[in-house]
Amino acid sequence: MVKAADLMAIVMARLLRDGETVFHGVASPLPMVAILLARRLHAPHLTYLNITGAVGARPTHLPRSTVDAALARGAPAQVTLTDLFDLAARGRLDTVFLSGVQIDRAGRINLSMVPGVRLPGGAGSAALMPTARRTILWRTRHDRRTFVDALPFVTAAGHVDRVVTPLCVFRRISEQLAVESLHSGVTPANLSAATGFSIAVDDSTPRTPAPTGAELATLAQIDPDRIRDTEF
Amino acid sequence: MSKIVSLTKAAALVRDGDRIAIGGNTLHRAPCALLHELVRQGRRNLTLVKTAGSYDLDLLCATGSARAVEAGYVGYENVLGLARGYRRSVESGQVEAHEHSCYTVIAALRAAAQGVPFMPIASLEGSDLIAARGFQRIANPYGEGVVVTIPALSPDVALIHVHEADTEGDGAIFGARFEDALMASAARKVILTCERIVDEQLLAERPDRATIPRFEVDAVVELPHGAWPLACPGEYSYDLDFLTAFAAIASDADAVAGFLAERLRW
Repeated sequence: MVKAADLMAIVMARLLRDGETVFHGVASPLPMVAILLARRLHAPHLTYLNITGAVGARPTHLPRSTVDAALARGAPAQVTLTDLFDLAARGRLDTVFLSGVQIDRAGRINLSMVPGVRLPGGAGSAALMPTARRTILWRTRHDRRTFVDALPFVTAAGHVDRVVTPLCVFRRISEQLAVESLHSGVTPANLSAATGFSIAVDDSTPRTPAPTGAELATLAQIDPDRIRDTEF
Repeated sequence: MSKIVSLTKAAALVRDGDRIAIGGNTLHRAPCALLHELVRQGRRNLTLVKTAGSYDLDLLCATGSARAVEAGYVGYENVLGLARGYRRSVESGQVEAHEHSCYTVIAALRAAAQGVPFMPIASLEGSDLIAARGFQRIANPYGEGVVVTIPALSPDVALIHVHEADTEGDGAIFGARFEDALMASAARKVILTCERIVDEQLLAERPDRATIPRFEVDAVVELPHGAWPLACPGEYSYDLDFLTAFAAIASDADAVAGFLAERLRW
């Protein structure tokens, strides 16, 4: 049985393309691992960007804080965070990883508040989601409190392409999330029960391809301390 | 003229009710020793400006020093999760959360730094933050389209921890720069705390530095370990034991007061 953290990191890595610029922000262990995995597996010319302003960093170990100086190591160029937001604003950032405490049927996210409860805030998401060419959302919890029909507050909305969860991959088509593939061991009934909006899913829904031995071995090399587990 | 002052004097440049910009990002290179001194001196009603903060913002909320927080993110990332002092003080109404996107904090600081009343930005469309913050849209006066504008935000004081500074107030940062130089440009007053005071000739010979220039800086305090319990890149990591203990009690004001008195030997 493949652990959810491993499967999600591999699925997220597969979504990245060679040659693109990819950014992750604060509190983003799975994107950090996925980006480095993709660069090792199929996207050697991917440009890795993060909050430190490092461009193309080659970290030698992975930190728990995804703003850590370890993620600036080996970078041939250094800019500021402002420069990276500007890159997105002028439409030149290819892909950003974002998450939400809650996600709705349109792939909009809430990181701000639910009634009576203050949440951490959306960080860069409100500016990045409408401007980056593509947003990949990830969320390590998939239940009806997380995937909801309506958000009490929309922190960010925009160019969402995929949503990766421990149960499935959603693809956003015509501004609605549609199930693209179910992970191993998840039944259509499980998925419908865990999702707070109606979805089309049945026995004909494709299965997420299982991780290959090469993917799992490379993942183990990149993240030997299993920083990816800190999100669970 | 030397700008070196004591920590006590530097902190006195911050007045009750000031809007302060705090350098660094999440667990890294915030001027924590200076913030501790503000708490010790009993500063009140501060408005805190930052793109993404952790212990710095949580501390000033948990100690009753803050009135409002203008930030994109407040939390300890996946290291320790929620900032409970911030959360409790917002939920109880003691602190106003003026949530921003990190980029709107940057835009607001840019407007101040450039001496203009607002800054247009490419997009924030679809976000309820536009209405929540009252950001106004304006028509492009030169052509098609509409842009969202962010009002200028001039901090009364920017508090920034750097690696090295000279006596004239030139500061040098190695590694991640975050928004610190922009904060210095936007603020009316700037206090630098630094790991080391160095000769200006040495600063001139340093490669790979980002600088905050002397004409923006009002005071310099030499404070080795001045970012502790947060990290200073290239110098030391964050103090996980201290932060774990603080984060666990941050929602209890009395426990926080006792904890700080004991751990900081007040």
